[in-house]
Amino acid sequence: MKEVMAFIRVNKVNVTKKALAEAGFPSFTCRRVLGRGKKMVDASVFQAVLDHGELPVSHVGEAITEVQRLIPKRFFTIVVEDDCVQKAVETIIRVNQTGNAGDGKIFIFDIYETYQVRTGESTL
Amino acid sequence: MLLIRAIVRPEKTGDVLAELMSAGFPAVTKSDVFGRGKQKGMIAGSIQYDEIPKEMLMIVVNDEDKDDVVKIIIRVARTGEKGNFGDGRIFVSPVADAYTISTGKQGL
Repeated sequence: MKEVMAFIRVNKVNVTKKALAEAGFPSFTCRRVLGRGKKMVDASVFQAVLDHGELPVSHVGEAITEVQRLIPKRFFTIVVEDDCVQKAVETIIRVNQTGNAGDGKIFIFDIYETYQVRTGESTL
Repeated sequence: MLLIRAIVRPEKTGDVLAELMSAGFPAVTKSDVFGRGKQKGMIAGSIQYDEIPKEMLMIVVNDEDKDDVVKIIIRVARTGEKGNFGDGRIFVSPVADAYTISTGKQGL
């Protein structure tokens, strides 16, 4: 079994839930988290500000204000059988991809055992 | 790749995040958690507090960066010279695979 951990945008939770259910993964756990990614301050932005005296109105301006700030994200966890991992990953990427930085990350972990609390059985 | 989960004091997360950023590890996820440790929580008189608020930081790094990140967290999140109970805990576990959603590419 594998655990699929996906960090996604807050406004993509509902479409992700729907797409996962249609793909045959109805069970999931979602948490509210804060995070930051790899986006670093670009030195050329500071130069542009110094040269022109104001922040350029563009994604550059966004980058300078977003860096080092924690952004609210949603953290999905689903546990699936080994042969379903690819399908789950593709489903999450398909509905969450906007092509911009900040779309999120997916990590896959090995799960050694699972138990159902209700019955005590060791099945998924 | 390795996942580092660090459970630290809430008042220390700001310092840890700033230090990780300057050390070149900008990507971090933070969430509020509650828990107790080996000391069975905090006992004040006859009252036992066993859901102590902490913050959990999750960082995925390449294998060779693991020691750096762990050392930074231990150095910054420790209170006082020798540290105190409740300073937190760090867990490291292997990551089988990673994808970036915006590009769909595999890897960190």
